[in-house]
Amino acid sequence: MSLAQSLAAAGLQAAALLALAPLLRSGIKKMKAAFQSRQGPPLLQGYYDLAKLLRKEPVRSETASWVFVAGPRVYFATAVAATTLVPVVFAGAPLEQAGGILVFVGLLALGRFALATASLDTGSPFGGMGSSREMTVAALAEPALMLGLFAVALWGGSLNLGDLVRATVLRGVSAHPSELLAAAALFIVLIAEAGRVPVDNPATHLELTMIHEAMVLEYAGPDLALVEWASALKELLFMTVLANLFLPLGLAVSITPTAVGLAVASYAAKVFLLAVAVTVVEATNAKLRFFRVPELMAVSLGLGFLALAIRFL
Amino acid sequence: MSSDDVVILCAAGMLVTAYLMVGQKALFVAIRLYGLQSILLGAVALTMGFADRRFHLLTGAALTIALKGVLIPWFLMRVIDRIGIHREIEPLVNVPSSLLICLGLTVIGYRVSTGLADGGRGVTHHVIGVSLSMLLMGLFMMVTRRKAVTQILALLTVENAVFLVALGATSGMPLVVELGISFDVILAVLVLGILVHRIAERFESMDVSRLSKLKG
Repeated sequence: MSLAQSLAAAGLQAAALLALAPLLRSGIKKMKAAFQSRQGPPLLQGYYDLAKLLRKEPVRSETASWVFVAGPRVYFATAVAATTLVPVVFAGAPLEQAGGILVFVGLLALGRFALATASLDTGSPFGGMGSSREMTVAALAEPALMLGLFAVALWGGSLNLGDLVRATVLRGVSAHPSELLAAAALFIVLIAEAGRVPVDNPATHLELTMIHEAMVLEYAGPDLALVEWASALKELLFMTVLANLFLPLGLAVSITPTAVGLAVASYAAKVFLLAVAVTVVEATNAKLRFFRVPELMAVSLGLGFLALAIRFL
Repeated sequence: MSSDDVVILCAAGMLVTAYLMVGQKALFVAIRLYGLQSILLGAVALTMGFADRRFHLLTGAALTIALKGVLIPWFLMRVIDRIGIHREIEPLVNVPSSLLICLGLTVIGYRVSTGLADGGRGVTHHVIGVSLSMLLMGLFMMVTRRKAVTQILALLTVENAVFLVALGATSGMPLVVELGISFDVILAVLVLGILVHRIAERFESMDVSRLSKLKG
């Protein structure tokens, strides 16, 4: 593919994932509501919320500097950039020459750093508390994510997500205990990064429990919309990586209508299954006390390490 | 997916449940994880039985799923409900260190399995590796847990590991032996359940470290 074509494909993929991300969030909300015998908000509620927020005027604290303004923008931009490195329906990512696992993890870390510093900027106690908590969780989730991805990379012989997915498509799923251990580790990371229940509660504004919400408490209007949208996109991204690395069934190898249609359908099915799994975890677990969260992340870290170690034994 | 792949994935799933058991503190979750582990063990036996046409394994699998996957977890939960204890596991070693120790134990279990004849590569290697690791982790849980119910769970994990080793290393035990083991386990859990009840009645706690204290 030429550079122009790659860029066009990247733009298209980013736009598609951005369009789908709010639906994922609302879908999980709806399923969770069904679990609890409630009706829940409509499936399109995510879009209504974003549209409402984008129409409003941003309200910023008088003490806020440019860091506060830049935070959501950097967070959003890094999440969008990360989508171009991930294979979604094709066995390959549009901008895979630009980087692999390390760039993917690095981009997400940069976004998190931008948001955490931005929430410290206004000097409100909630912002500081939120970013401190977010960083505590991230410091443990990030190595677990790296170890889990490296365990797959070791088998595929590449650090590039596109290459890895192609390797799994060619050789079929390798039945090795390492695969399942890495998938379990990454699933816990997905829960933590998406701010789902055992780690964080996305539906609460209770000061004792919130992590992500405490960080973005000071944002309003379009700024808040960017943060919410990017968070939803991040959740979808993690699900995509998890689904396509460990279950590469149906990924399109050629650009024929049947292959692409099949790939889109299987992608939707895989993400739906993961969303159901996240919903079940969220509906059947109580939120952990904050000082218990490191223990959960230690499990994930241990599983990731083991996934890597078992390859050598 | 071939039957070997299914066996390996189920065995790996058992290892993951053993890890989650070490890594969290809710007693009920630990019991459910044990049930899941037993069902996965049943799945291993089922797959091996169908793939190698050893149909006596199917009886063993059905017994495992029915007794260890459903009946024993239900019984343990009932015991806990009856004596109304604090539903939290209080390990002697904290969770992160336990996990680190279990990582080491898994590496040892896996390494040892490569030394066995026919254990070098393939399904046998993984199955024996997983079961040796689970055996060591079960023993570790038994010495680091205070409550009698958690020690029963550790014992049952060890028992699952032994069953898995028997499946992986031999072509499955004769039906009589399997029946014997299943009833042994049931009996052990019943007796231990009664014992737990008695301990809780006498000492108003399930903490076995209190057993060494004199009572006037």
